[in-house]
Amino acid sequence: MTTARRSPFTGVLAALARQRGVLGSIVVGELDGIVVDSQLQMGVEGDTVAALTASLFRKARLAAADAGLGEAVFLQLEAESGRVCAVGRNELVILAIAEARANVGLLRVELLRGLEALA
Amino acid sequence: MSEELARDPSSRIFLPLGEELRRRGDHELALRVALRGLERHPHDADAHDLLGRIAAATGQLERAMDEWSMALSIAPAHTGALKGLGFVSCQMGRLDDAERWLASAVEAGGDAGVAAALDAVRAELAPTAPEAPVLPDALGAARRLFDGLVSAEGGEGALVVDRDGFAVAGRHVVAGVDVGEFLAAHLTGVSDEAARAVRHLGLGGWTTIVVETSTATVALAPTSEDAVVVVAAPVGSPGGYVRRLLARARIRAAGWLGAEAA
Repeated sequence: MTTARRSPFTGVLAALARQRGVLGSIVVGELDGIVVDSQLQMGVEGDTVAALTASLFRKARLAAADAGLGEAVFLQLEAESGRVCAVGRNELVILAIAEARANVGLLRVELLRGLEALA
Repeated sequence: MSEELARDPSSRIFLPLGEELRRRGDHELALRVALRGLERHPHDADAHDLLGRIAAATGQLERAMDEWSMALSIAPAHTGALKGLGFVSCQMGRLDDAERWLASAVEAGGDAGVAAALDAVRAELAPTAPEAPVLPDALGAARRLFDGLVSAEGGEGALVVDRDGFAVAGRHVVAGVDVGEFLAAHLTGVSDEAARAVRHLGLGGWTTIVVETSTATVALAPTSEDAVVVVAAPVGSPGGYVRRLLARARIRAAGWLGAEAA
């Protein structure tokens, strides 16, 4: 697993990476889609996924705000054999890439806990 | 006039006398005068016309028409007879006949009253404009696509959003306002971005996006034509319930999109 040098987000990313079925975790800027920090398994392409997921989260946040549905807290993109989960605050998004076997509930809890690092 | 008629029974003074009596409502005397005059002048169209008017005044419409027809057989352009037939035809509801008689009366030199009556009859006969077809309420039907599936009272809503971020069906009402357009506007390209993200990860095609907000849970799924179906439920709704709602909405959306494309 590639490990970035320590950052304010290292602990959060490591906690996520320890979850069963997690292929990697990334902190990305919501507006520009540029990776801030990441912990990814070998072979996982993080940059593109991070940018796209950040865009999705931004759209969800703006849609919810404009529709009077409150603040977007958690996003889950599900695919046939895995998922990407994300939380965001202060123009930063934390996302976790997981296989289908991952425990989404625990992943969600860990991500919400990681929001504190974005405060 | 009576004295003149008494002096000369063959005088045609019976015509204005009979008309005067008719106008005064003395129909019985008018009839006697007219009949005596007709005995002396059986081929006088004006005499038959007088009888026709007296008969019409006493409600004997069929007899009136007979007398006027007789008058026309004697004088085909007799204005009085043509007018009389026109008015009686009107009374009897025979507007086509009335139009024909009154048009002839106008042509024969009828007065303004005849012309006005003709206009009135023609207006009655004018075909009414066909009722505008009632167009099906397509817009309303589209908005009501998910009625019965989602509970608006329960704060639920569902939409079909096209690739350009337009809400094309369904609605989601928040505090009395349909916020479907606002929700949809930011979803431009969502399906494409989701598909690319999971493709880069080798995770197959995307199936669902679930977004939790402070007041709602919103779920999206792809449907045909690069559209997405979106459902929203109040925060705290069980995840399984929202997914089931999404699955059913997706089926309904697919059916609607298929029907629209047909």
